[in-house]
Amino acid sequence: MVIANEFDYQRPSTLADVTRMLAEHPGSARILAGGTDLVAWLRDDAIAPDLVVDIKNITGIHDLKVEGSALRIGALVTFSDLIESEVIAAHAPLLAEMAETVASQGIRNRATMVGNICSAVPSCDAGPVLLAYDTTVHLVGPSGARSVDINDWFVGLRKTARTDDEVVTHLTIALRPHGGVYVKLMRYAGEDLAQAAVGIVAYPDDDYRVTFGAVAPTPIRSTRIEDALHGKPLTESAVAEVVAMVRDEISPITDIRASAEYRTRMTEVMLERGLWAASERLAGRGPAYGDRLI
Amino acid sequence: MELNLNINGEHWALDVAPADVLLDVLRDKIGVKSPKIGCERGDCGSCTVLMDGRSVRSCLILAVEADGHDITTVEGISSDGLSELQNLFLVNNSFQCGFCAPGIVLSATELLEHNPNPTRHDVQEAIVGNLCRCTGYEPIIKAVLAAGKGGSE
Amino acid sequence: MTDTFLFEAEAKDEGLKTVGTSATRIDGLDKISGAAQFVDDIDFGPGLLHAAIVESPYAYARILSIDTSAAEAASGVVRVATGKDFPYKFGMYMEDRYIFAQDHVRFVGEQVAGVVARTHREAVQAAKLIAVEYEVLKPLLDPKEAVAEGADLIHPDLDGYVHVPWFFPKAGTNIAHWRKIRKGDTEKAFAEADYVLEDTYRVPRYAHCAIEPHVTVSKLDYADRLTVWTASQSPHTQRHLFAEALAPLGFAHKDVRVITPYVGGGFGGKAGVSMEIIGAAMATLVKGRPVKLRFTREQEFINTYQRQGVVAELKVGVKSDGEITAVEHKLYWDAGAYVEYGANVVNAAGLSASGPYRVPNITNDSICIYTNLPPGGPYRGFGYSEFHFGLESHMDRIAEAIGMDAVEFRRKNAIVEGDELAYGAHMNPSGMIEAIDKTAAAIDWGVEETSANPNTVIGKGIALFWKAPAMPPNSSSASFLKFNEDGSINITVSGMELGQGYLTVMAQIAGEVLSVPVNKIRVETPDTDRNPYEWQTVASHVTWSSGLAVEKAAIEARAKIFDVIHQVYGYEDDSLYLEDEKVKCKTDPTFAKPLREFVINGIQTEDGTWRGGPIVASGKFMPEFTNANSDPETGQCGHPNVHYTVGATGVVLEIDKQTGRVWVRKAALAVDAGRAINPDLVNGQITGGLVQGLATVLYEDMRFDDGGKMLNPTFTDYKIPTAFDIPDEVIPIIVEVPQPDGPFGARGVGEHTMIGAAPVIANAVYNALGVRITSMPITQEKIAMAVIQKSKT
Repeated sequence: MVIANEFDYQRPSTLADVTRMLAEHPGSARILAGGTDLVAWLRDDAIAPDLVVDIKNITGIHDLKVEGSALRIGALVTFSDLIESEVIAAHAPLLAEMAETVASQGIRNRATMVGNICSAVPSCDAGPVLLAYDTTVHLVGPSGARSVDINDWFVGLRKTARTDDEVVTHLTIALRPHGGVYVKLMRYAGEDLAQAAVGIVAYPDDDYRVTFGAVAPTPIRSTRIEDALHGKPLTESAVAEVVAMVRDEISPITDIRASAEYRTRMTEVMLERGLWAASERLAGRGPAYGDRLI
Repeated sequence: MELNLNINGEHWALDVAPADVLLDVLRDKIGVKSPKIGCERGDCGSCTVLMDGRSVRSCLILAVEADGHDITTVEGISSDGLSELQNLFLVNNSFQCGFCAPGIVLSATELLEHNPNPTRHDVQEAIVGNLCRCTGYEPIIKAVLAAGKGGSE
Repeated sequence: MTDTFLFEAEAKDEGLKTVGTSATRIDGLDKISGAAQFVDDIDFGPGLLHAAIVESPYAYARILSIDTSAAEAASGVVRVATGKDFPYKFGMYMEDRYIFAQDHVRFVGEQVAGVVARTHREAVQAAKLIAVEYEVLKPLLDPKEAVAEGADLIHPDLDGYVHVPWFFPKAGTNIAHWRKIRKGDTEKAFAEADYVLEDTYRVPRYAHCAIEPHVTVSKLDYADRLTVWTASQSPHTQRHLFAEALAPLGFAHKDVRVITPYVGGGFGGKAGVSMEIIGAAMATLVKGRPVKLRFTREQEFINTYQRQGVVAELKVGVKSDGEITAVEHKLYWDAGAYVEYGANVVNAAGLSASGPYRVPNITNDSICIYTNLPPGGPYRGFGYSEFHFGLESHMDRIAEAIGMDAVEFRRKNAIVEGDELAYGAHMNPSGMIEAIDKTAAAIDWGVEETSANPNTVIGKGIALFWKAPAMPPNSSSASFLKFNEDGSINITVSGMELGQGYLTVMAQIAGEVLSVPVNKIRVETPDTDRNPYEWQTVASHVTWSSGLAVEKAAIEARAKIFDVIHQVYGYEDDSLYLEDEKVKCKTDPTFAKPLREFVINGIQTEDGTWRGGPIVASGKFMPEFTNANSDPETGQCGHPNVHYTVGATGVVLEIDKQTGRVWVRKAALAVDAGRAINPDLVNGQITGGLVQGLATVLYEDMRFDDGGKMLNPTFTDYKIPTAFDIPDEVIPIIVEVPQPDGPFGARGVGEHTMIGAAPVIANAVYNALGVRITSMPITQEKIAMAVIQKSKT
């Protein structure tokens, strides 16, 4: 549908200008990066802002590099950037695996990972993976910069810790040797939103992070499952034990896309296959990143 | 708002509203008709154009965002004669109704620029965002693979 | 059946030059270069107005009031229209439909009002300001509920509706049509059968999803001439329906012109008239200005034709040796709020629902039932995909129950030339046995395969299909043909290039007769002022019907060419032939007159005068052996169908036992094209139709809420296949048992390639997992949950 509601558009060149504009239009300004969510919402008449603030001219927020012992990923880094990056391939191929499941090339060339966790729909692909990593979200607002731990980022259905007058500048991810997996249940092999998703990062010494997507209002972590796996080598019975916990850890809905029961059953399957894959990858073996497990 | 674009190598200066979408501006104000309106949600890929050489969904881009950028459409690729890829599509009778063809030509052109010898999986991945209802994709994939092998097929 | 075409059909082995070759499509260059023009691409200048419509949010309601005052005062608005402006009914086979809703709305999405404004944005903004008050009524969303005792009548005036004589509505009910077949004595045959299987199969609604949305631009000029540019499969039928619908405004056919360029996919959805009448009607209110109405993807889903849903109750009886003795097929069609076109789907299915088998005792009841859902209409397969799902699933189950191989069971019972059809006429020549054998061989039928992956299992399935064109008995095609100075040809026809390659096939037919290469033949898209009549591009019939018209025009042109040569040089007509664009003579090998030398300017004789002049020709075809005389109670004694095309589908599937994910490792499809005029294009229909068919059974899943609102009117949630969702390997098999009255023996294949897909998947899933799923779609989820369910028992 043509965009029926009109709005003003600004493309500032500094972060200070961005936060000022957001503060001047409390609740009625929207940040535009890749636009694959925002422009769709404008077309659907789902939102009617007075002002759209395009941040693509801001310098310093498109980094994708190692800084010390962390990976720094700027707000404007697209999913294609992640897939094509040698830095990602070397340090966090799990991000590329996840990025490849997002939509299609033409969307990934524009859509940003930071935008994905700011829209924060329950099925956002970056959510479970960033939640499984030690990720910090960095923002600036009128009163300066602050950081939010990813575990405090998703606060409710489509709600994040960002206030209306703040803009995310970059993410940092603590780098350690690891194996990871992002398993995504789709309705077919082509493009789809996650119907359920599992994110796993396996660190040395049987240290796991286990997250779920699209089966709760936000991406969630299961510390209960992580604790049950911690410090023990991965065995069939250990896996079976945590698979049996899935049902109590997640709260999927039944909607036109899938039933709650199917989502639950498939999350169990994804966790089982994912745990083996993640631990194999930690050991330098296992399926190649990008191979689908389901 | 003033908008300055390069479309297929030609400079355009236009006045647009912020809420004008790039796809509509290309079709209605500039007269470039090959990017199509199929779903207006970024699901079908028939609006695909190349922006600075990368495939994008012009239905999800505000025209003002394209200020200062280079846009390439199929008209630009065809202007000096068919590309090798286009010729392979032609002789393989790859397309039927042709509505998805411009988008697929551009997605496949981007693929071959970055990956001159793609696998079948690479080709499928490159065009997964371009929906085709007519062909079942097989003759399209065949032509792109042939282009990858340097035209031998 | 005339003998001229038998002659051409027998030319099969006489060195055809053009027919039978995979010529490059004559529209191919247009389509890969960006030159191809679709309706929305045509520029109409700054005066173009834009229309937006207001749709009903309720499936069934009385309209109490419509307040258009705010919209009329809104910026840029030129005109607002409601049902009051057009209180006329119209329809293809039955007049039950309105341009804008009158007193009632009957489905969510039905158009209630329209706005014409100077820009698209202003039209959309103004449409939001139209206030409609409804009295909401309880909708009927299930066909069996709608025929239950005491159900509300969705069309209380059904009795007075004008309709074609072969429809049988039941006054005082929601039954718009009931096609019956009563052949033999099924009750007795069931009683005597060795094995009888009875079950119910459910097929929901489906959407066409052509990538090009419906769009029209309409203009009533100052001379009161209405021109409609439209993405349509049926320009002449549209002109006819526009003229009929707008007749109260004084329009006749001569006052209406329909122009149709390339169409971005039809699949039946752009046949007949659906939204186009809205744009055309609104244009009559703004004389002198072109008005564009383009549907959004959401409107495509909810307010254009859908494929009807059906509840199929099937009972089949067999002897212990596998011979089918009786079929009883009851089809309850969820046909939607208006059935002006869809009732013919019900009719077509009813005539053929015993399937491609030799069956002596048949009871078919195909019932067209009004529901408060979007109007059902033509969709590739026209009712046949819908009933084949149950039928071919059922045949597999019976074969297993009596201990017979599924392929052997099909071979034993498959219909062959001369067998009696359900309505008394006889089966045309066809290669069903060959199709079955080649399909089975292509998937290594009988060889069980095991998967190397412990999570998956492999299964195989087979399903047969058949279909006849569903057309009125006097559906016709016509063609004009003319030569140009360079010996090139222009052909005008009103069949539509939907992507199937129709223009190319017409060129190949003419080119074969006239020895002109395809790249020197232009076949132009229709303009009803200039191109002669074609009923519609539907029913997989234009290769046959329009092909015959073109062939006849070419034969007439050839006769005129020979006549000129005879006049000037004295050679007898039957000694002349065409080769390499020249007239040659069997009795004088030195004679070779290039066509281009005389096809416009004629030939100069010895005395300086000229003979000949422009070679122009025409051809028409209308079958003269069909009729709609089928008895309303028994279906007997008519000849409603011209011929059937048959074939078989086979698949090898790999299925993940835990997730239900299906990989189609191999799909073979054999179809009897009679003669593949262009094998590439036939293969295109095989691959494309197969994938569309697989999509209906594996991915597409239309959902409605209990208010009758479609919940997934987007490609995000109504999944049509991407390049990843196709078989690993498609094996197309072209069978060629000539159609005696077809051009070079050809018959149509466009729809048929979809029809076997749904049951072949159901059968292969059963083969792999031992679960029999009797409702569509058969999604990953359904398979996974069925496996879990089975493991509990």
